[in-house]
Amino acid sequence: MRRRLVLVATAAVALAVPGTALAHVTLVDSEPVTQSRVDRPPTEVRLRFNEPVTITSNAVEVLAPNGTVLSGTARTEDDGRVVVAPVSRLRLGQGYTVRWRVIGEDGHSPAGVFTFGVGVNAPPPTEAVGASGTTWRDDVARWGLFAALALIIGPLTLRLLVLRGPVPGQLEHRFHLVSVIAAFLVIDVGIAAFVLRASNALQLPFVDLPYGDLQPFAEKTRFGIAFLVMTIGFGIVAALLLVGWVFDRLELRVPALLLSVALLSGLSLSGHQGTEPNASWISELADWLHLVAASVWVGGVASLAFLVWPLAPSLRRTAFVGFARIAVVLVAVMVLAGGYLALVRLPELSDLWETLYGQLLLMKVAVVGIALVWGAVHHFVVRPRLEAGEDPDVHPSLVGEAIVAFSVLLAAAILTNVAPPPVDVPPSTTARSTR
Amino acid sequence: MTPKAETAHWVAASVALLIGLLLVAEAIVGPEVFRRRAWRAYLFPAIVVASSVGLWIIVVFSTFSTMHLLAHALWAQAALVAGAVELAVVRGKLKSPNWSLVPGFALLVSGLAFLVHEQNPWLYSRSAFLHHAIGWMLVVVALFPLGQALRPRQVVWRAGFAVTFVLLAILLFADRDAAPIFGRYGLGGGP
Repeated sequence: MRRRLVLVATAAVALAVPGTALAHVTLVDSEPVTQSRVDRPPTEVRLRFNEPVTITSNAVEVLAPNGTVLSGTARTEDDGRVVVAPVSRLRLGQGYTVRWRVIGEDGHSPAGVFTFGVGVNAPPPTEAVGASGTTWRDDVARWGLFAALALIIGPLTLRLLVLRGPVPGQLEHRFHLVSVIAAFLVIDVGIAAFVLRASNALQLPFVDLPYGDLQPFAEKTRFGIAFLVMTIGFGIVAALLLVGWVFDRLELRVPALLLSVALLSGLSLSGHQGTEPNASWISELADWLHLVAASVWVGGVASLAFLVWPLAPSLRRTAFVGFARIAVVLVAVMVLAGGYLALVRLPELSDLWETLYGQLLLMKVAVVGIALVWGAVHHFVVRPRLEAGEDPDVHPSLVGEAIVAFSVLLAAAILTNVAPPPVDVPPSTTARSTR
Repeated sequence: MTPKAETAHWVAASVALLIGLLLVAEAIVGPEVFRRRAWRAYLFPAIVVASSVGLWIIVVFSTFSTMHLLAHALWAQAALVAGAVELAVVRGKLKSPNWSLVPGFALLVSGLAFLVHEQNPWLYSRSAFLHHAIGWMLVVVALFPLGQALRPRQVVWRAGFAVTFVLLAILLFADRDAAPIFGRYGLGGGP
């Protein structure tokens, strides 16, 4: 008993006594700086950590674009807080990749990758030497993200703009449920997409990925910054939707919808249109409008098919006719913005069949064409019958249109992960260095 | 840009202490007395929901490792869901006593996240010790909400749930990540 007491007392005192080290081991600084452009080839690479680290001789590898290792044996300085690796044979006009791995005092073994350029802009970390590029997993993650976004924005738009008055309790409950789950999905799928993209560049075995350093991707790339902003933003959206549900405050859905629509710009600013040499504010705006219109359309059709039709028969006519009016505007925005973006990205007509991007775009246009025809039938055949007081069995057709609509999102996800063909850029235009 | 881990831990500890003291007060005087003013019933869940938004901010500062990003995101979501469900119970939106299982589930997954995201044994370092201690504590005390759902009249469940947050605060205040378990005395630390 006495021994136990002593042990407990010792543990209590120990926990109360200040320790010496402060945080998990992280890379706090480097020379050359992460994603920087230096004027002269460096003779060594220095990494400063927030606490002393233990290393092996190849803790730091500096790689040329062709994969040649240009670094020598690494050593530590400043009581183990700084890791230094000599480098040689670096040349002007090239980008280089730094891969590192250390062991912290807490036993964790973080690893990371970053790039720098000598006389040129640093390549994005996603294009570090050894990076595998995007895979089908990235396509699936991007599709999930698009679908989740549509399932927030579509139902909220339908509820706030089309079905403005009171709705049956079960439908109201389902609107809440779908939008809240979608908000969580946006966050979680967004995290998965971000980690997948970073892991393609980190090239760590799965067991080591948990300690991969994601900071260069989060803080030095557009998609990383967009990911951070969207994560906080959709955390707030989820909180607004949940509080609105608890207190029956429908008006809290308005800021949730507006914030969601604004956050969609994160995808636009971090995708092709934000990084291509010929990008402009017009192309970024067009991409955002394209995305917003598509989200409202896909989410709206899905809401009609899976929420309104089965749960509120009395509101079918109002919802269908009201959404049909909005859909005309949505389709116009999608076609105009999408057409403009296609012209910007594929200046030559032959790019459509000669490049992978063009071929995928044709595939997407084909799926969009099916969806548009389907929507046109609903608009020009079903809507007049509903307005005339008939009650056509349109539910199977709505489900079909919703499935095609989600297929459009899949095609868009695949297209987004493929780079458009390079274009000739006027000399005055500056390429952006972050992706 | 990244704040010190202990700063984030101490902010979290302060919030946990506030919640713990509120719940202890409610356990001592009983819910009937504590909730004579209706707004008091909303204090605990409202603080949990608000803290979830704070946790999202911590999430974006946790990109120094994949594991920390995932763990903090899990805690943020667990806090948001548990807080919202508790708000709905207080508001009368959710009526089944089984909804009190949700905070228990949130504690369970939070505890498991603590255990999974610590790869070292108990006595490797102070950080490892605290991660294990917090993780196992949260896993075990997940039983309190379960007991509250099954035997709502027994005070022990409510009191245990309340004391959990006070203990969590103490452990988080003691968290100085890489320090040896016995602080600067180094009696049982790592390398």
